[in-house]
Amino acid sequence: MRKTFLSIVTMFGLLCLSLFYWQVCADIQNHPANPRYYQMFKEDRGVIFDRHGVPLAASASDGSVYARNYSTPSLSHVVGYFHQRYGMTGLERRYHEDLSQGRSLITTLDLDVQKVAEKALAGRQGAIVAIKPTTGEILALVSSPGIDGNALDGNWSSYLDDERSPFLNRATHGLYPPGSVVKPLVYGAALGEGLVERSQTWQDQGSLVLGNRTISNYGGRAHGSITIDQALAVSSNVVFAQLAISLGDRLLEMFRRFNLGIEVGFDLQNLGGFLPSGVASDYDAAQMGIGQGELLVTPLQMATVASTIANGGAMMRPYVVQEVRGGLKMRQITRPQITSQVLPPSHASALQEAMILAAREGTARTSRPSSLDYGGKTGTAQTGPGGDHAWFIGFAPTERPRVAIAVLVEHGGSGSQMAVPIGVTVMEAALGIDQ
Amino acid sequence: MFRTLYRTWFEFAGWLFCLSWWLFWLQGQICWWQPLVLWVSFMVLFFLTKQLGYDPGALPFVAILVLTGWVFLTRLNPTWATQQFWGALVACAAYVGGLWGCRRRFAHPLVWAGAALALLLATALFGQSAGGARAWITLFGLRFQPVELARIFLVFYLAQYFTEGRAWWELVLILGAFFLLLAWQRDLGPALLVFFVFWWMSLYWKFTWPKLFVYIACTVLGFISAYLWFPHLRSRAMAWLWPWDYLDSKGYQVLQGLFALRSGGLVGQGLGAGFAHVIPNVHTDYLFAVIGEEFGLLGTFSLLVVYLALAFWAVRLLHVVEEKRVQMIGLGLTLLLHVQVFLVVGGILRLVPFTGMTLPLVSFGSTSLVSQFAMLGMVAGLGGKRGGD
Repeated sequence: MRKTFLSIVTMFGLLCLSLFYWQVCADIQNHPANPRYYQMFKEDRGVIFDRHGVPLAASASDGSVYARNYSTPSLSHVVGYFHQRYGMTGLERRYHEDLSQGRSLITTLDLDVQKVAEKALAGRQGAIVAIKPTTGEILALVSSPGIDGNALDGNWSSYLDDERSPFLNRATHGLYPPGSVVKPLVYGAALGEGLVERSQTWQDQGSLVLGNRTISNYGGRAHGSITIDQALAVSSNVVFAQLAISLGDRLLEMFRRFNLGIEVGFDLQNLGGFLPSGVASDYDAAQMGIGQGELLVTPLQMATVASTIANGGAMMRPYVVQEVRGGLKMRQITRPQITSQVLPPSHASALQEAMILAAREGTARTSRPSSLDYGGKTGTAQTGPGGDHAWFIGFAPTERPRVAIAVLVEHGGSGSQMAVPIGVTVMEAALGIDQ
Repeated sequence: MFRTLYRTWFEFAGWLFCLSWWLFWLQGQICWWQPLVLWVSFMVLFFLTKQLGYDPGALPFVAILVLTGWVFLTRLNPTWATQQFWGALVACAAYVGGLWGCRRRFAHPLVWAGAALALLLATALFGQSAGGARAWITLFGLRFQPVELARIFLVFYLAQYFTEGRAWWELVLILGAFFLLLAWQRDLGPALLVFFVFWWMSLYWKFTWPKLFVYIACTVLGFISAYLWFPHLRSRAMAWLWPWDYLDSKGYQVLQGLFALRSGGLVGQGLGAGFAHVIPNVHTDYLFAVIGEEFGLLGTFSLLVVYLALAFWAVRLLHVVEEKRVQMIGLGLTLLLHVQVFLVVGGILRLVPFTGMTLPLVSFGSTSLVSQFAMLGMVAGLGGKRGGD
């Protein structure tokens, strides 16, 4: 009888295991044959707002089915889309549970800035990320070309066939060599290791010979006797290659502290990029110091770098959802959070001054007249076929920065000519300056 | 200790009753008195059993199961719940009948076998179809399923076959006729159930490895031949093996059941918040999936624990029974109930082919409720009078 009971227990144990699988583990909720899946398109859904309470995404009923309307097409890479046939992405997916229960999201995005950034990149491939340095709030996140969440039905197949990959979120998943925009980090590392004095002058003859290979400045220009701040302003490869060689593996340590090669904890999925584990030779180190080595970064990461420098060396965790409101939870608010103090404040302000110098007299000068007082650094990443990628990272205003930005234009040529004006325009929009 | 345990269970059933009462009062339902009457009836049965000197331990668990079933039937369609309520009252009488009847002198085994076969033959000749099987007989305006009774008779025969050491060809003839009649009615469930119970009783009586292998081989061969020769069973087998290939036809019920279970998750959607109406025959075949969706894994696990407690009660009772024949009958009846739970829940979970039987004591079905109550009454009776405690 005992064995009989144990057999019955075994039988029921089998049922319990199987129940556990089908009730908790099995991935069948969104199967097309499940009527519960279609139910969510027959119900109203929470609204997604920007930081000023302007709706970014809202549902409208046609009598039987609710459809989602988005304020501007570029939102598809941050807010995402929610579609009966094509599923859901972005915040629509991440916060599906809340939204489907009628709760609304208040994001940190600024629709005006988002639209300006979208327009500035129109017709180009690239990405823009604007952050508020003191908190880590994302003000705008644009990847171009985008997809229009309002017109997925008509355009889906053309999106699929488009060779420019409109589905790729270049801001979070695009991996690019950073070019000269890493130079502030080399500067910061050198300050940290005591390898450089700000008053010290360097000789820049236009090129640096390393064994049988040569590192040259952009355009082969010789800058003569310059300080480190001036070297950053004119983007001297010669000076930064020398610094990187003396830093060696310690430079990689600084990159790691800035979360390069590491996925950022963020509301949206993102890639960590690629950071080599060590430098094999002086030439490798020199290449790393001018952003031409194996290092690959995303625009989101570079925006965090700019934001960290602008915030006195304290890295804030970037976030895009400010608040979940409504329902039983009432309010769930995201609080700004310091990831780490990456640089001492004095080093951060040295970097800021060098970047301000670059914006006033160096490569980060804007070609078009602007009253904006900002700091920045350009990059022109050499990529082989298709032309160089244009980079710009910056912050504004120079006193207590309220916006930091990263701009990347694929095959955009020189950072100074292509990326700086875009960055300035977006920063002006973020600070409410009329052009 | 057991007395405390029973009291706790009864209190739990009482809470369940209060909960359902409150819920339906909130919803403006007027059948608030049904759970009350049911609960009182189970209490009366409990103390009656105790007064007669038998072990009343099954009743708290029965109360939980029947009340749970009633709550979910009300949630689906109050008409079903009312029908189930009257069925449960008749079942209480059947319980008393079983308690009294089983200790009388046992009839000759062939009488039981003959009665079982006669019931099936009558069903096959005069029966009506419902849900793909011709399993119903109407007598004096009441519709019932004779197979529910026939399988109890067959267990009586089987127990005496083993204990009296009767000729094997007799068994083969009777079981063969039983299965053929069920196949004629296209009623796969009871055939499978009786086969497994026979298998288990036989191994319990005398365990040998060759016997086990023969039974396993029989199961496989039986399955293959059923697949080849009976188109009705073939579509059931296909629904079991490849439901995803027949989303809208054969596999529909199985898949909708799985979707319901998955949507329940750990704690469920809450009573009434499920999507149960899409499952065909939900009140008879798939009530378990509704419970899974609305009470979650917590609810289904608890339900299985209650069934297990019922098995423990029966085994504990039969363990001390001296007379082998009585023990075998009790074992057979217990297995009829618990193997059925396994086949039903396992069928919903695709562990075994789905056979369309009711979940004992929970699902809609008066005949099944009455026979289950009678069986439990018999087990309590077979367990004998208790001294003291």
